[in-house]
Amino acid sequence: MRGVRSNQRIVAGTALGVAAVLASILGVGTARAATAFSIASVAFVAGATLLASREFRHNHPVAARAAISVLAVDVSLVLTAFFSATVDDNLAIGAAMSIVLLGLSFLTGSSGQISLGNGAFMGVGAFTVAVWANHHPTTPIAVVLVLAVVAGALVGLLLGLPATRLRGPYLAGMTLAFAVAFGAVLNLFGTWTGGDSGLQLPAAVNAPAWVLHFFKPGTSSLTTNSVWLVDITIVTAGIALFFMANLFASRTGRAMRLVRDNDVAAELVGISLPRARVIAFIVSAAYAALGGGLWTLINNAVTPSTYGFALSVTILSLVVIGGIGTIPGALIGGLIYAFAANVIAWFTAHTGLNPQGNVASQLNGIIFGGLLVLTILFAPTGIAGFVRRRWAAWRAR
Amino acid sequence: MSSFLTSRNVADVLGGITNGVIYSLVALSLVLVWRSTRILNFAQGAMAMIATYVGFAVLAPTTSYWVSMAVAIVAGLLIGGLTERVIVRGLYGKPEINPVVAMVGFLLVLESVAAAIWSTGSRGLPTPFSMVDWQLNHKPVALSPFALYEIVTAVVVMTVIAGLFQFTKLGLRLRAAALAPEVSRLLGVRVGRMLTLGWMLSSAVGAVTAVLVASNYFTGLTPTAMDGVFAFGFIAAAIGGLDSPVGALLSGIALGVILQFVGDYLNSNAIILVALGMLVVSLMVRPNGVFTRSAQRRV
Repeated sequence: MRGVRSNQRIVAGTALGVAAVLASILGVGTARAATAFSIASVAFVAGATLLASREFRHNHPVAARAAISVLAVDVSLVLTAFFSATVDDNLAIGAAMSIVLLGLSFLTGSSGQISLGNGAFMGVGAFTVAVWANHHPTTPIAVVLVLAVVAGALVGLLLGLPATRLRGPYLAGMTLAFAVAFGAVLNLFGTWTGGDSGLQLPAAVNAPAWVLHFFKPGTSSLTTNSVWLVDITIVTAGIALFFMANLFASRTGRAMRLVRDNDVAAELVGISLPRARVIAFIVSAAYAALGGGLWTLINNAVTPSTYGFALSVTILSLVVIGGIGTIPGALIGGLIYAFAANVIAWFTAHTGLNPQGNVASQLNGIIFGGLLVLTILFAPTGIAGFVRRRWAAWRAR
Repeated sequence: MSSFLTSRNVADVLGGITNGVIYSLVALSLVLVWRSTRILNFAQGAMAMIATYVGFAVLAPTTSYWVSMAVAIVAGLLIGGLTERVIVRGLYGKPEINPVVAMVGFLLVLESVAAAIWSTGSRGLPTPFSMVDWQLNHKPVALSPFALYEIVTAVVVMTVIAGLFQFTKLGLRLRAAALAPEVSRLLGVRVGRMLTLGWMLSSAVGAVTAVLVASNYFTGLTPTAMDGVFAFGFIAAAIGGLDSPVGALLSGIALGVILQFVGDYLNSNAIILVALGMLVVSLMVRPNGVFTRSAQRRV
C-alpha cells in the first residue's frame, strides 16, 4: 500500500514538472493561453493522482465523482483548442446529446421505464431557449438554460403523472403519441414558435468580455464563437454528468433500481412506486430539455422538423447501443452520435454510393435501426456492458 | 330529412366513422399480437407499409388494384410470420422493455429500407372508387363511394377475423395458445406455430389497412405513411384495452368520430392533442382499458 502511494507521488511530481516546462515553453509567445494550459495540466495531474488512490475513492465518493467530471471536462476543453472547427462542432452536438442520453439512461436503466418521447422533450428545451432569447435577448445563457430545464421538467411532470400507473409498453406508446403530437403543439402556438420554419436566435452567443480579455494575446482560436459554444456545452455536460453520477449512487437511485428489478419488493420495503416513477420521468425530461437548449445555442436556430419522432428513436438506439442504464454508455452514445455522420459519409465515399441517392440518405436509419435490433437481441447491455464483462473476465484470470 | 343528412354534424359523424374504421383495424391488429405474445408491435404500421409497397410497386402499374391488394395481403402474411420467427421469438420472457426497443428498431429499419428502395416521395395508388361525395338535392353527403368501400372492407375483415376465432377449430387453438400456453401444449396444440400464425394474421390485417390508407388520394403511399395512423390506432387500442378486440373496434370508431368533431369545430392541430389527452385521462382512470375487466396483476 505504502509503495503504491509513493509511486503515485513520483508520477504526480513528474507530471507537474512536465507541466511547468510546457508552460514555460508556451509562455514565450503566448503568456496567458500558456497559463491556462498549465493550470489545466496541473488540475489533470492532481485529479488523476487523487483518483488513483483507492482510499480516496472509497472515503470520498462524491469528491471522486466531482474529480472524474472535472477531469473529463478539463481534457475535453484542452482538446477543443486543437481540433478543427468542424470536429469541435461535432463534439458539441455529441456532448449535448450525451446529456439527453444520461437522462434516458437513468429513466430506463434505473426505473425500468422507457420513453419514445425524449426527442420531443429536447424540442421543449430547444424552443424554450429560442422563444425566450427572442423576447429577452439580454438574458445570460446560464439563466436561459435553467429555464429550459424547468420547462422540460414541467412537461415531464405533466406526462409523468399517468406514468405512475402505467407499465412498459403502455408508457412507451403514450410517449410515442407525445412525440407525434409535438409538431402539432408547435403549430398550435405558431405565433410564438415560428410555425414550420422555426426560430432564429436574435444574436449569436458571444463569450463574455473577461474571457476574451484573458485569451486575447494568446491563441486566437480560443476566442472564436464556435469554440466558446463547444466549451459551454462541455462544461454543462460535465455538470450534468456529476449530478447524474451522484443520483445513480444516491438513495433515490438505489430505490429506483429496486423498482426496476422487482417493483413488488420495492413497495414492500416502503418505496413509493408512483413517486419513484414520476421523479425518474421528470429527471429524464429535464436532461433532454437541457440538451435541446444547448442544440439551439450551437445551431443559433431551431427548426421543428429536427424534433420529430425520428430523433426520439435515434436517442433510444444510442442509449441501447452505448449501454443502457450506465453513465459510460451515455457518453459512448454521445460520441457515436457526434461522428456517425462523418463515418457514414466516409463509408459512402469508399463504396461508391451516390451520396445524393436514396440508399446513401437512408444508411443512417438502416444502420442505427439494425444495430438497435441486434444489440437488444444479442448484447442487451450494449457496448458499456460488453466492455465491463470483458474487463471483469480479464481481471479474474 | 335531406337537410339533416347534409348537415355539418352528420357529415362529421360519417367522416369520423370512415377514419375510425381505419383506427379500429390498426387497433385490432395490435390486439391480436398483444393477446398472444404480450408484445406491443411498434413496427405494425411499417410492416403493413412494406406489404403495400410489395403489392403495388413490384407488379406492373397495369396490374389490377385487386390483384395488387391480394399480393399485399400475402406479403403481409409472410412479413408477419418472418418477423415472429426471426426477431420476436428471441424476446419472449425478456424484460418488457426489450420487445419495445426491438420493435422500434425494426420500425426504423423498415422505414429506412423502404425509403432507400422506393424513395421518400409519395406514390399515388389507383383509387378503385370515386372519392367524390354523393349528392343529395345538390348538396354533398359526407360519404363517397371510396369511404363506403373503406367501411365495408373493414367490416369484412373484422367479420372474417371474428369468425375465424369464434367458429373454427383453428380459432379455438389460437385462443387456447394465447390464454393458456402450457395447458394447450399438453393438449397437443403447437403453441409456437399458433403464435406465428397470430402474427401473420395481424400483419395481414395491417396490410389491408395500409392499402386502404394508401389508396386514399390525399395521403398516398410514403415510407412514413402509417406513422400517424399507427399513433391513433395505438391510442384506440390502449383506450379500449389491449386485451379486448371488441374494445379496440369500438374505441377506434369512437375516437375517429370525436376527433372529426374536434378538427371541424376547433382546429386541425388540436386533433392529436385531444387524442393524447384522451389517452392520458383514460389510462389514469382505467390503466387496463375501458373495455377490459380489471385483473389483478400476478406477482
